[in-house]
Amino acid sequence: MSDDAATRDTALRMRTWLVVGTLLLVGALLAFIIIPLVQGRAAGIDGFTAICRAFGILPGSPAHPTPVSRATPQPVTQVAWTVATLAAIEGADPKHGAEVAQERCVVCHLPDGSSAGPTIPRMAGQSWFAIYKQLHDFRSGSRTNEIMSAQVTGLDDRSIADVAVYYGHLERGSSDLQNPSFVPSEVENLVVNGDVARGLPPCIACHGAGVGGPIEVPTLTDQHQDYLQAQLEAFANGQRHNDIYHRMRGVASRLTPREIQLLAIYYAGIGR
Amino acid sequence: MPRNKQLVLAHLWFSFLIFAAAATLGAWQMWVRSPLHAPFSNPQTYFISVTAHGTSMAYVMSTFFIMGFGYYVAETALGRAVPGLILAWGAFVVGVAGTVMALATVLAGRATVLYTFYPPLTGDATYYIGLVLVVAASWVWCVLMIVAMLQWKRANPGQPVPLVHFGTVANACMWLWTTAGVAAELLFQVIPASLGWTDTVDAGLARTLFSWTLHAIVYFWLFPAYIAFYTLSPQAAGGRLYSDTMGRLSFALLLIYSVPVGIHHLFMDPEQSTGFKYLVSFLTALVTIPTLLTIFTISASFEIAGRLRGGTGRLGWLRAIPWDRPMVLATGLSFIMLWFGGGGGLVNMSYGMNALIHNTSWVTAHFHLIFGGTTVIMYFAIAYEIWPRLTGRVVGSVVWQRRQLWLWFIGMMVTTLPWHWLGLNGQWRRVAHFDYSDPVLAWWGPWVVVSVLGGLMLLTSAYMFVWNLASLHIPAVTGSAPGPQRYATSLYPTPHVPAVLNGFRTWNLVLLVLMLLAYGWPIAQFLVTPSPGAVAHRMFGTG
Amino acid sequence: MVVAGSVALIVAATLFSALALHRNPPSNLERIDPKTLHLTGEFTEGNLGTAVEDGHVVVRIVMTQFVFVPSCVIVPENQPVTLRLSTPDVIHGILVTGTNVNTMVVPGYVSQVHTVFRTTGDLLMPCHEFCGLGHSQMLARVQVVPTEQFHPDAQGRASCAAQ
Repeated sequence: MSDDAATRDTALRMRTWLVVGTLLLVGALLAFIIIPLVQGRAAGIDGFTAICRAFGILPGSPAHPTPVSRATPQPVTQVAWTVATLAAIEGADPKHGAEVAQERCVVCHLPDGSSAGPTIPRMAGQSWFAIYKQLHDFRSGSRTNEIMSAQVTGLDDRSIADVAVYYGHLERGSSDLQNPSFVPSEVENLVVNGDVARGLPPCIACHGAGVGGPIEVPTLTDQHQDYLQAQLEAFANGQRHNDIYHRMRGVASRLTPREIQLLAIYYAGIGR
Repeated sequence: MPRNKQLVLAHLWFSFLIFAAAATLGAWQMWVRSPLHAPFSNPQTYFISVTAHGTSMAYVMSTFFIMGFGYYVAETALGRAVPGLILAWGAFVVGVAGTVMALATVLAGRATVLYTFYPPLTGDATYYIGLVLVVAASWVWCVLMIVAMLQWKRANPGQPVPLVHFGTVANACMWLWTTAGVAAELLFQVIPASLGWTDTVDAGLARTLFSWTLHAIVYFWLFPAYIAFYTLSPQAAGGRLYSDTMGRLSFALLLIYSVPVGIHHLFMDPEQSTGFKYLVSFLTALVTIPTLLTIFTISASFEIAGRLRGGTGRLGWLRAIPWDRPMVLATGLSFIMLWFGGGGGLVNMSYGMNALIHNTSWVTAHFHLIFGGTTVIMYFAIAYEIWPRLTGRVVGSVVWQRRQLWLWFIGMMVTTLPWHWLGLNGQWRRVAHFDYSDPVLAWWGPWVVVSVLGGLMLLTSAYMFVWNLASLHIPAVTGSAPGPQRYATSLYPTPHVPAVLNGFRTWNLVLLVLMLLAYGWPIAQFLVTPSPGAVAHRMFGTG
Repeated sequence: MVVAGSVALIVAATLFSALALHRNPPSNLERIDPKTLHLTGEFTEGNLGTAVEDGHVVVRIVMTQFVFVPSCVIVPENQPVTLRLSTPDVIHGILVTGTNVNTMVVPGYVSQVHTVFRTTGDLLMPCHEFCGLGHSQMLARVQVVPTEQFHPDAQGRASCAAQ
């Protein structure tokens, strides 16, 4: 390549950098200095803060003050799925759970995790996150039940986790359930498709295996019809309100009483 | 016939068969979302289909087509065998294996996360690992394209690299830059969460890393279409390329402007600041330049062809152009769709207007039009152009090729124009069922049905395309054996091309600077102040 | 020429809206832990919905798989409104039909949108980002009422009129 061509090449290269550089400079000046200063001044935000917000170093908008909240927390549950809580449950001790269950649970929930009556929920094979949360809520008063609230008094978090994984690992059999003779298609449609007109998600969007729904979602299949119906009704009238952010209260309050009954029958029957 | 024709055919057939299957899913999806009752329509099946369709079209069909076409270009333009043929075949096998892994996982319902897989929604690791394998295979292709160019330059010092291969290497460089984002997201965030090594994901970082890939990938797809515009269309029209330099400049500009502007996919996100969003909006305006250069240059090239064939008058030369040739027809139809799709792109890049259409059907319509339309119609044309040289047979009449192209164009317009309109009116995305009884949405119904009809046209065209190619494998009816591949010659021969337009060192450096400025702090901020982690929601297993 | 002109126009329009109208895309960068969102004061259930604080209308909404809390919010016409949204679980997003309200809601952040509702009526506010199998059914409503019909109570709270 001749010297002449080489010089031309270098000149072209320089020009490329110059054009790109100028454009970047103009864009950056506008983006990070000029716009936030102008916007901040109009909104009563000092220049330094406005520029920091434009960079994203401080939260908030350079053009508007951020509302400050003075509300106090009124949580519906004390359970939070932090990394620590999840780890505690994953590492819980089912053998110790068996001992705790022997002391406090087996009279009603039976050693094999089935149940002593139609209003007592089956525990065997239930999601241990679900069991953990409900026991914790009974203890904190977020959920109330004459018998359960008494049973969990004095249980520490570790023991609750242990009982949860003990029952969760038991085989979910089907020894003593009602056997519904019909499954109405209207209800099956609710389970699989939901109802967009009422903003009802399909039950299966949360209560299915491997659907990526909320962590504490319980398994509904093979559960007592009476128990399921009672819970749905309690959510619908707000008596039970330990569901995080209204998920079940919202759903249950949009179901008709007949649908609640049929859903309970449906879920009691599947799992055969 | 090129020596590597089996390699090229393997890639292209794999691409097109996946394309036809995915197109079938797409047509069914349009049916499900409409007021008409479709079979198997429940959310689980619908979203599995959306994931499979998106994964196939965005990651598999496109990548394998580009690889196959690249191998073809490397040999025919540089006049030498592709280096590392064994590696190329190895990469193909790895890519196919990855595709099978990924799609099988999706179809089994264990990765219903959509092709954008925004964590904390997390699928089975085999889905992501499958995709990583496809990307790894494509990286081998990138390296081989670059090596081919370097070897040619050493053997031909001072000579301009043939434009068609220059464009291919520009695309290869861009792909290496592009995939870094999604590779980082998958390897450091998503796969560990999927395997249970971590419980939480930094959702803001994941979205930012994915945005890096998400914009540039559309230019990766678009590049072969632009390469065809510059090097195949003028030839097919019987003319000359108006300016070789413009072509090189366009490719270089596409390389540097398409990767840093990914944050415009995050205009409505809370994890990036107003300053960077403004800067990116400003820069994205610049990415229109190479497209404008291209439209001008190709139009000028076509005008040359028209006038060479006796066309006269301001626009009269248009009539003299041989529109009966598939490559020429496809270019014309592609330009029409580019007008609409590009216009839509201008709306998207301006964050004020973006606020009206973000995550509405406008976005879906836009990328179906610009990718499925502008780009893929050129993929068809490229296939029709090179197939005779791959099979050694020429089809007697190209009537069915033209019909397939027209049907694709009409189907695309019928599908996407109402879709744009509904998006502008607020129809949101990724929905299996709309409540058409709601008075706010009721009027959408008929327009969605129109799109369903468009989808059927597209599906028919897709099957016709596969049929047209398959028929080129049976003995020819008439026609002589095709000559060697010829690429468009430039109107003004350029014996010397400036070094900056004959290689990529400067452009890669410019891109590095732009990436540091556009993505440096937007990513570093997550290392300085990570987002509070969101628990992974695993969409597989027993929960 | 036409396209170059349009690009120049868009760049100018964006600059104008930024400098003269003080409009920005929703950004905010306010981090919040999604795992303990329900334990905070600001996003506790009782504090969600429309509230008038220091004369300013603030609407707080939580999006979660697969409901909005609250599922209907009321806002006055022609007054500046600040919407603050967050999520305890996965990525969601909203738009409000017929308005420029549009934002992603990403776990780990509070999304904030500033707007003025210019027309009265019942507007749809769907979740517009795939958030799981119940995404298609995730919808809320925004009731925009004339200022005379906007009556916050003694605590400054207002909720949707009964349907």
